[in-house]
Formats: sequence, C-alpha cells, structure tokens
Amino acid sequence: MKKLSEEQLNGLQQDLDAIRDEVLADLGERDATYIRKIIRLHRTLEVGGRVIMPFGFIPPVFVAATASLGIAKILENMEIGHNVMHGQYDWMNDPALNSQTYEWDTVCTSESWRQTHNYEHHTYTNIIGKDRDYGYAVLRLDDDVKWHPGHLLQFVNYILLTVLFQWGVGVHELESEKIRRGELRWRDKLPFLKDFARKGGRQAFKDYVFFPLLTLPVAPVVLAGNVGANLIRNIWASTVIFCGHFTQDAETFTEEECEGESKGHWYLRQLSGSSNFTGGKWLHVLSGHLSYQVEHHVFPDLPAHRYPEISAKVQEVCKKYDIPYNTGSFAKQYGTVLSRIARFSLPDAVRTRLEQRGSGQLQAI
Amino acid sequence: MLARLTQTKALHWLGRQLLNRDDPAAWLDPLAGAINPMWVQEYTPARVERIMAETADTKTFVLKPASRWTGFEAGQHVNICTEIDGIRRTRTFSLSSSPELWRKQGLITLTIKRLPGGLVTNWLHDALSEGDILGLTDAFGEFLVPQPAKPVLFIAGGSGITPVLSQLETMAASHYPAPVTLLYFVRTGNDIIGREKLEAIAARYPGLNLNIIATHEGKEPRFLCDADLEAIDGLKEREAYLCGPKGLMDLATELLQQRGLAESQMHSTFFAPPAPAALDNDQLGGEVSFTRSSVNVGSEGDANLLEIAEAAGLKPRYGCRMGICHQCSCRKTSGTVVNRLTGKVSGPGEESVQLCVSVPRGPVQIDV
Repeated sequence: MKKLSEEQLNGLQQDLDAIRDEVLADLGERDATYIRKIIRLHRTLEVGGRVIMPFGFIPPVFVAATASLGIAKILENMEIGHNVMHGQYDWMNDPALNSQTYEWDTVCTSESWRQTHNYEHHTYTNIIGKDRDYGYAVLRLDDDVKWHPGHLLQFVNYILLTVLFQWGVGVHELESEKIRRGELRWRDKLPFLKDFARKGGRQAFKDYVFFPLLTLPVAPVVLAGNVGANLIRNIWASTVIFCGHFTQDAETFTEEECEGESKGHWYLRQLSGSSNFTGGKWLHVLSGHLSYQVEHHVFPDLPAHRYPEISAKVQEVCKKYDIPYNTGSFAKQYGTVLSRIARFSLPDAVRTRLEQRGSGQLQAI
Repeated sequence: MLARLTQTKALHWLGRQLLNRDDPAAWLDPLAGAINPMWVQEYTPARVERIMAETADTKTFVLKPASRWTGFEAGQHVNICTEIDGIRRTRTFSLSSSPELWRKQGLITLTIKRLPGGLVTNWLHDALSEGDILGLTDAFGEFLVPQPAKPVLFIAGGSGITPVLSQLETMAASHYPAPVTLLYFVRTGNDIIGREKLEAIAARYPGLNLNIIATHEGKEPRFLCDADLEAIDGLKEREAYLCGPKGLMDLATELLQQRGLAESQMHSTFFAPPAPAALDNDQLGGEVSFTRSSVNVGSEGDANLLEIAEAAGLKPRYGCRMGICHQCSCRKTSGTVVNRLTGKVSGPGEESVQLCVSVPRGPVQIDV
C-alpha cells in the first residue's frame, strides 16, 4: 500500500469527507425518483417474467421469461436490496426502503447480510484473516494461505460457488472453516442456521414449488425457468463481485498494519483494496453500481447511482496523493480475476517461476 | 376488491412467504400506483378534491380518502403523510368536517394554518394542488363529544377551532340535547376560521351559544377572563373542551380550576406540543438495549430513545419527532420509560412506546 504521512492521511480524509458532505447535502427528489423508477422496473420484469413463464414450452418465450425474471432478481439484489440495506435511502423515511427492515429476494437473510457484509466486509475490507469475503474461505487467492494439493482443483470450487452463489452467500455466516478447525461449534451457529433454513426454505418454496405448481400442467417448464433465472443472477452477481477485490492490482493487508487505523488510513485501504470496471450505463445499473467498487467502498451509504457523478472527483483526489485508481474494462478486470484463481491454485514455487518467466519474456521483447 | 383479498389471513400469510414483507399487498404499489394512485396499499391514499382559503393564512383542504378508510368521530385527528423533496413527512391535523360528510359523500376536510417556518404547512399551502395524493392514517384521539350528552363549554383559539367545528356540526345534526357554549378567541375579525359555518350552525341549532371574541381589535388586548366564565349557566356541571395556543389553554385551565371544575371535566388536545413535563433528572438515563440490532448503549439525563438510537448509529422510523404522530412507536419489551410530554411513567413490561418522547429510567429493552 502506498505509504502516506500522517499529514497526507489527514488531507486525504478531509478531501474525501468534502465529497461525501457535498452529496449528502444534495440528496432529494432526484434520488427518490431514481430508486422508485428502478423498483417499478423490477416489478415489471418480475411480474412479466412470471406471467409468461407458463408459456415457456415455446422456446423463445422460455428465453424471454427466464431472462426477464433473471434480470429482475439481479436488479432487486444488486441495485435495490444491497444499496437499500447499506442505508443509502434511509433519509427518505420510507418504511419500505429502511435498511434495518428490508428483506431481499435471495436465500441469504437480510440480518446475516447486514452483519457479514455491511459490518464485517466493509470494516475489514481485504484484511487477511478478518475479511472472510476474501476467497470466501473456499478459494486460495493470496500467498498468506498455505498451499496444499487440494488447491489444484480450486477452479472447480470457483465454478460451484458461482453456480450456487446465492446459497454460498446465504451460508457464509456459518464460518464452516472455523467449525472444521474446532474454533467454533455447530451449536454456536444454531440460531443462524434456523434463520437461514427458514429464509432458504421460503425462497425455494416460492421458485421451485409454488410457482411451478400454480400452473401444474406446465410445472417442469416453470421450474426450469425459475432455476434458470436464479442461475443467471448467481453467475452475474458472482462475476461482478469477484471483480471488486480480486483483480490483479487490488491489494490485501495484514491485521498488524491496520491496527489503530485512522479514518484517513481507512480511506486509503478502501481505495487500494477495491477495483472498478468501465462500461455503458446499463452495465453499471445491472451491477448495482459495484462497477464503481472504489467509490462504493469509500462511500457505502451514498446512493449508488451517484457514484458515476463523483468518480472524477475521487480520481482527482487519488492523483493528488499519488494513489493508484484501479480500473479497466470489464473483460480485462475479469481476466485478471480468473488468472489469480488459476495462479494461486499452483504451489508457490511453480507460480513464482511462471510469473518470472512471464515478466522475463516481456522484458526480452 | 384488493383490500378484501389482503384481509384473508391465509392469503396474507402466503403473501408474506412469497414477498418477504409484512405488507405483501404493497409489493405491487409501484405498478398499481402508476395506473391509479388511489390503488396504493402501503398507506391509505386521499385525493385532494378542492382547496379553499379561509383567512389570509388558513386553507381548508377537501380530501377524498380511499373507501377502505375506517372513518372517525368528531374531534379526532389524523396523520397525513406527504413526500417533500424526496423525504416522507408526517404531520397531525384535526378533522374539521363532521363524520356525516364522510358517511354521506366520502369526503373529509382539514383546515390548516400556515405556521411561520413550518416545513409541511407551508408546503401544503404553496405546493399542494387539486388531484394530488396525501397519505392518511386511521383517525385517533380522545377529544370526543360526551356520550351520553352533557352540557359543554368549548374554549378555542385561532386554528384550535378545527376539531370544534367538527363537533359542533355533529351536535347540530343530532340535535344535541344539552346546552353548548363556545368561546372562540381570534386576533381580529379577519382571522375567524369557519365564520359562515359557525353562524349557520348557530342559526339552525338553538342549543349553541356562540361567542367570537377578537383579542387585538380594541385599544387594549382583550383575553379570556373570569367574567366570560361568570356568564355561563351551570358552568360547574359542564364538560370543558380546550383547543388552541398554549397561552390560552393554560389560562383557561387555571380559570376553570378556580371556578371549581375537576381535572376529569377538562379535555385538551395538543396543537403544538406543550413544553416537556419537568422531569426529575436524577432518576433518568440507564442502559438501553436495542434488541433487534444487538446494540447496547448507556444514556444519561433526558435524552429520548430516538436520539439515543440515532447516536448509536441506528435509523428507526420517525415522523414529527415530538410525540404526536406515533410513527416512531416501537415495542418496549422490558424496563421503564418516562413520557417526556405527559410526564407519565410507563409500566415495567411489554408495551408500545413512542421513541421520540420516551426517556429511559433504568435499564430498558426496545425491539428496534
């Protein structure tokens, strides 16, 4: 991580705080109108998708219905749910958009998400050993985790996690790796497991039992479509989220170097540990504006649609303190994520030799 | 029709499972409301039918609530909810029309005075138009016409006449069998709200003794005095209803007590929140446990639960923040709180409390 003096860190804090205060003072009707528009779009896509799904025995209708429902779930999870739960719209005083009571359309309970994501991930971002999102305890993405032969197959883990992403996120709070190591007992996690079973059960009932049975003669078609919609959301969400912190230049940190962290240092860690990707307006909306992961990590409780508007200012601040601003095309950033998963599945000796040879070849050219 | 669907218990349960919310019918609001704003389920919508000027700073808003609204009794108030600059604001107003108008024509009226510096009243006067929608809650309040009938004295000031208008209409329509006297204080003749209505009621209902007194029209200000009470027959047996600015309410209470009326005979409705009841500061404060958020904080002095919650980083729902609209009502599961407005101390068990006016007294657990 870029080394900044205490004076510079204070300056960084003031500059970023100023951007935040400016946005907070400006929040109003425009933001309320925006989120309501997105919610209306979500309702339209979900109602539309579910209504035409029973006619999915006609292939083009199946594709349209599954896509519609899949995109509805993406919007609800990423642009609406994730952002509302961060408190981005609490100022509206609308009980349906309150961060503490909003329940989203996925098997993870909002309670668990608020704990593991809002609190743990956003506070300890990329600190190895504290940010359990780093690798989700099933992938080796950094050399802090000791290599063992099982890691050779970790691409299989990645594919499984991606395909079943909503279940992975839902059960994340279980801390199964700690149970395996004996640091926690199953008994300690019983309340969490009960809540998870209830929410997971309701979601599975809705998509895999209720709606298929509602139009019984075509139940298999509706079941397939709903599975497809959840799959679309899982793959998209996993891909976008992995681009947030696992790209090549996204840094990780040790607990020691973050002890007694000042706000300026916290800002610096958020800037260095996050990465953006570029694209068109709809790519940003569909990613829940996580394409602006840097801005999101610096200002998690500002309405996400504001991130593109402040991005230029944030980049200016980075330039002022000579902090790298990690961005690139979606394809390029995702490519580095896949490369990271592949590289750290290899033993360290093999990996470092490959990396040296790779940079050696570049030098030769 | 949708309302009937939402009331079936089984369907409601199913809706909660499928849509992950306690008000499943409201899930469709973004679509339903776009077609017809009166189809919204999250709150009870009311359409602004007409706006009429009463005085220079007072307007009457004629509203048509959705038919599922549960009605009201004369003298009660409602919370209205509106979005100003993206933020939902809730305020409480007395209904100035009689329940007959609601039953016969499905209309209600709110007579609202523009308060200097007031966010919502000024917005209602300047920005609300016919055809706009306001959110409405169920009516509430204990400021009710006595049943069975007893002799009544109304002392009202300024915009405090609004619930009295509703009650007088009702009494006139039902030929209320006991004598009714109204002492209505306004600054000048131009500030009389509902003058035509009052005179029309007085004309057709002989039981009403109408007195409108302008306080600032003569050389000297002329306020409520004992002589006004002297003139009233059978004052000691009357039920007294007071509604108006604090100064008038305090003066009236004092004079009536001097005349021998018991506390149980006097009824007030708050228009602006009264000054907080003096609290014994030594006993206040304590550890507050917000159980749903797993947050524990200590508090000292007379910080109220809403302030305590917000200082701890929580964001409970709130409305007027002064103890009138009940938007911030939450369940207290244990412990004692003092209501800062009334000075009343709660019981130690489970009950609903308004966060913005409840001050902890010892350890308290709140379901927030």
